[in-house]
Amino acid sequence: MIVADQLNKHFKIYETKKGFIGSFASLLSTKHHIVKAVNDISFTIEKGEFVGYIGPNGAGKSTTIKMLSGILHPTNGRIEVGGISPQKRRKEVAKKIGIVFGQRTQLWWDLPLRDSFDILKEMYKVPDAKYQRFLKLYDDMLQIGKFMDTPVRKLSLGQRMRGDLAAAMIHDPDILFLDEPTIGLDVNAKTSIRAFLKELNTNEKKTILLTTHDMDDIEQLCSRVIVINHGQIVLDGTLEELRKNIGLPSLMEIQYREKPDVSEVKLTGIEKMKWEDEKLVILYDRSVLSSPSLLQNVTQWGEPLDIQMKEPDIEEVIQKIY
Amino acid sequence: MSLYLKLISGSLRSRMQYKMNFLVSSISYGLIMAVDFVLLAAILQRFNDVKGWNLYEVGLLYGISSVAITLYRVFGVEIHNFERYMVEGDFDSLLIRPVSPLSLLLTKNLDLSRIGGTIQGILILAISIFGLNLKNFELFLLVLYLPISIISGVAICFSLGLLTATIAFWTQRIKDFQTFTLYAPFNAANYPMNIYPSWLKLIFFTVIPVGFMNYTPILFLLDKGGSLWNLALPPAVATIFLFLALRFWQFGIRHYHSTGS
Repeated sequence: MIVADQLNKHFKIYETKKGFIGSFASLLSTKHHIVKAVNDISFTIEKGEFVGYIGPNGAGKSTTIKMLSGILHPTNGRIEVGGISPQKRRKEVAKKIGIVFGQRTQLWWDLPLRDSFDILKEMYKVPDAKYQRFLKLYDDMLQIGKFMDTPVRKLSLGQRMRGDLAAAMIHDPDILFLDEPTIGLDVNAKTSIRAFLKELNTNEKKTILLTTHDMDDIEQLCSRVIVINHGQIVLDGTLEELRKNIGLPSLMEIQYREKPDVSEVKLTGIEKMKWEDEKLVILYDRSVLSSPSLLQNVTQWGEPLDIQMKEPDIEEVIQKIY
Repeated sequence: MSLYLKLISGSLRSRMQYKMNFLVSSISYGLIMAVDFVLLAAILQRFNDVKGWNLYEVGLLYGISSVAITLYRVFGVEIHNFERYMVEGDFDSLLIRPVSPLSLLLTKNLDLSRIGGTIQGILILAISIFGLNLKNFELFLLVLYLPISIISGVAICFSLGLLTATIAFWTQRIKDFQTFTLYAPFNAANYPMNIYPSWLKLIFFTVIPVGFMNYTPILFLLDKGGSLWNLALPPAVATIFLFLALRFWQFGIRHYHSTGS
């Protein structure tokens, strides 16, 4: 369904200066450095797969998605989406894919949601009967009926995201690219969007590529995970393989009155332990070692002044491991 | 076509949501244009003519040039403000649709506040035609040719706007360039080209071909020189220029960089 073959995207970053003379000078100047946003990435995604595409900020996730959807042209490498090159036949690919950018709505900001749908219906030439079925189905799945006549700018973030998701599905594409669709949403909104995506994938057999910062998205949705860092794939496998490799550890930071010697400590469940300035940072697997029992141990090593616990954050974990 | 109407009506309804802003900007823009021409008329009254062109003859040039640029400002508002798409990365959302980004841009917004300038330009044209007291045949030919001249002018203006917008794919910002590629040339085209030094004339008949839209045909129509070719040139130049601008635009899109997530 989706093929990326030795994909590269290099950006030339020119130094820009202010003003007319400046912008003219930077137009002619050759001072630049090259950033390899995507560096030799290859993968194949089959029909019906739900793939999580994760990595720290600036790892090249968005750049990859933009190349797959035809927004950006790769420096070199080959892409096929539904058997077509998005660079050569962008408009045809656009009809086969649905895209949601969590950070930026694709809806008409000042118009009611219904009008955005009407315009998109026309744009993708969706027949009337099919369109009516779509409205019905997506009202059932996402409950968008309640705010169909509200201007998009007045919707809550959760409502807007549901509207965006429905808008991306209006032409019934086989492939979905979702760039952080749950960003900034509260727990309820996240849950309903996940349920919707799950349904799309299992019932409608949609192929979905998802980028996210939220580990729960990955755990609940993705059958396969591709991890990239510095523009390169560092892992491509199942969630279990990801877990085996990086453990998805929880994190505990402890500040002691006096630094205890912990080099001899051996505790099953602890994956990594190191000093960061005055703080002891422990990465541990919650399913093996519970937080209360780790707390107990930690207080035995010395007198803690402050203890902080963090839930697994993909970026931090990946940056620590690779 | 129905998509085009849907998009246009959508953008109009979006605009109407901010009624006050719309009214204030239309009125203020109309006022600026009016003051502008009153100044020109005052100067011309004093000097009677500019290198052999009297007030009404210059009025023709002025009218064509200002109708052309204001129509471009009405319909090409998103092209004109294209740098926003680069700086804020909004261009992405145009490239995910099965429609060309240019048609999406053109239907996204209409700047109706500029219509005041168009109407004012047409008024100046009408006054000038009456003031000229032409013989029947000449009058007929002039009135018949004016739409061609205006359409060529809009096409040339649009092409210049598009060429300038395309530069944004590399420089992000284009506001500074527009002074040189749009405002200054169209201001210059308000007056007969023979008042300019030859190097400027060269520019206005080559890289920024604003001289063709009004000076070239009016020269012949007012019997000041040239041949029938002067009437064929404006649409021909406009078509070629538009074609080049579109090619450059396509080339620019391939170099679109987008912004970080």
